[in-house]
Amino acid sequence: MLYVYNKKNIFNFPEPKKKPSVSFIIPAYNEEKTIGETIEHILAIDYKNISQVIIVNDCSTDNTKEVVEKMQKNHPQIVLVNNQKNLGNAGKSKNAGLKYATGDIIAFVDADSYPAKDSLKKMLGFFEDEKVGAVTCPILVREGKTFIEKMQGIEYRVIALTRKLLGYVDSIYVTPGPLALYKREAILEVGGFDGENMTEDIEITWHLTAKGWKREMCLATEVSTTAPENIKSWYRQRRRWTLGGIQCISKYKKEILKKGILGLFVLPFFIIQFFLGLLGLCVFFYITITNLISKYIFARYSIPAGSPLLTMDQLFITPSFLDYLGIILFVVSFIFTLICLGIMKKVSPKKTGFLGIIFFSIFYMAVYPFITLSAIYNYFKRNNQWR
Amino acid sequence: MEMIMNQKHFFLYALLLTLIVFNLGIFMGYMLESSRVSKINALSVDSEMELLDQMIQKNAISLLGLDCRSMIEENAKFGDKIFEEAKQISKYEEANKISTEIITQHKRFDLLRALFWMNSIEIKQKCNSDYHNVIYLYKYNNPSIEQKSKQAFFSNILSEIKEKQGSKMMLIPISADNNITSVNILVKKYNISELPAVLIDEKVLLTEITNSSEIEKYLT
Repeated sequence: MLYVYNKKNIFNFPEPKKKPSVSFIIPAYNEEKTIGETIEHILAIDYKNISQVIIVNDCSTDNTKEVVEKMQKNHPQIVLVNNQKNLGNAGKSKNAGLKYATGDIIAFVDADSYPAKDSLKKMLGFFEDEKVGAVTCPILVREGKTFIEKMQGIEYRVIALTRKLLGYVDSIYVTPGPLALYKREAILEVGGFDGENMTEDIEITWHLTAKGWKREMCLATEVSTTAPENIKSWYRQRRRWTLGGIQCISKYKKEILKKGILGLFVLPFFIIQFFLGLLGLCVFFYITITNLISKYIFARYSIPAGSPLLTMDQLFITPSFLDYLGIILFVVSFIFTLICLGIMKKVSPKKTGFLGIIFFSIFYMAVYPFITLSAIYNYFKRNNQWR
Repeated sequence: MEMIMNQKHFFLYALLLTLIVFNLGIFMGYMLESSRVSKINALSVDSEMELLDQMIQKNAISLLGLDCRSMIEENAKFGDKIFEEAKQISKYEEANKISTEIITQHKRFDLLRALFWMNSIEIKQKCNSDYHNVIYLYKYNNPSIEQKSKQAFFSNILSEIKEKQGSKMMLIPISADNNITSVNILVKKYNISELPAVLIDEKVLLTEITNSSEIEKYLT
């Protein structure tokens, strides 16, 4: 519905009339391989008023510090902040950098993310609306060699369009780490990031929402990033995100059903999503376990009797209407993914294999309830390790 | 950026659309199940007529002294039909999620099968026939996993034997816990306290089977 109503202006962005100064902040821990290129990409952005590029080195044990110091010699706007002790997460490092930032707009970039040249020109105009406190843009997966990276490539493009559509009803619930711009006044009002939260980018967005700041998504530009290249690191990242989501729900639980988009939509949306995922998982486990027990008992009777374990009759399953609904749900989600990828071709012309999209629609999304379960376990175990 | 669609209106439209899609899904599901119930209903009406026809034939033999052969043949055909119907109904029941009408239909079939059983006993006696009545009594309402698995095994074994024996065996599946008075009386008469159970020729009651030969030895 939102797409149909807004499709003509989905890639539009307001031209900035003012030229606010922008301070970039990059939290970094052992990022020697990518930090140099991230800084280069920021310095190459087609915008004259970038006043600072602040790198917060969280006691890296590799050459991150040396790489930045080398670049500092040619670029006076680079500021290196060395934390006295390892703060352990991005939120705290971002806050450390914020103390040095002087810009009207504060831009946060992950140390492995490369903003596009036109990113500021296309994003800054949104701040002309004085209610707008944060602006973000699509995140695209840079490499995409492994299967899991390709899956994330699809996912990120679907998320980008979804976030844009949510923006039309003031429901953007995260301004993600790879590139997010905040109005100085807004970020100071909320007191920066919550250093204890595993997903400080979700938390700050909810905080801004609670304070009445609007969040916008600019679909006309992009930031490229590296995504986890193997299942293990992907699983850990997603668990951390989910755990952060649970922390956010816990922190803002008093806002539930209170007036405003946070209490009436964002929070219920998160809670229902978790609840349905877990309910589905419970039903799945119940059916699977009872079926396995049943098959085991059946086999225990059948094998000694020499009776077949499977007959032709049993092969012809009569589908219930729930089976049909499941198929319809899959088809709808598949079509939605295809539409998103089609629309996002304008930003990311990457081709995606048909089988990959099918796998994404069936299996990739089905793993999330398991991650939720694991995140809940970690939440109660208070296992809040960021790295 | 100008919000093309009012936020409040969007959420209302979305809610409306969700409700329409949800209700449409339930409605379609109900329609699908209703069409299956209608098929079962048609089967049951057909079986009812055939059974009535047989009962008239049986009375005609007694009253008018007609030949038994055609009635035995019809009885055997009806027995085969009941066996096939039972498989079909069981599949529909497994797929049934919303409508409760199928439970009523199942009771109706139980009654028909009980009637068929009585009729089979009578025909056997009157016509001195050598076919075997094998009554399979099972639990229909909330069977435990153990019972369900055991019933699946019993069904397989009995189906195998039925395939081998053909019209020499009347396999009559009846759910014994559907609160049907006539079935309850029969269950009580044959001292059936455990389900599933197999009653052969109203003489042998088996509640444990380890292989098909344990039943087949009574069918020779």
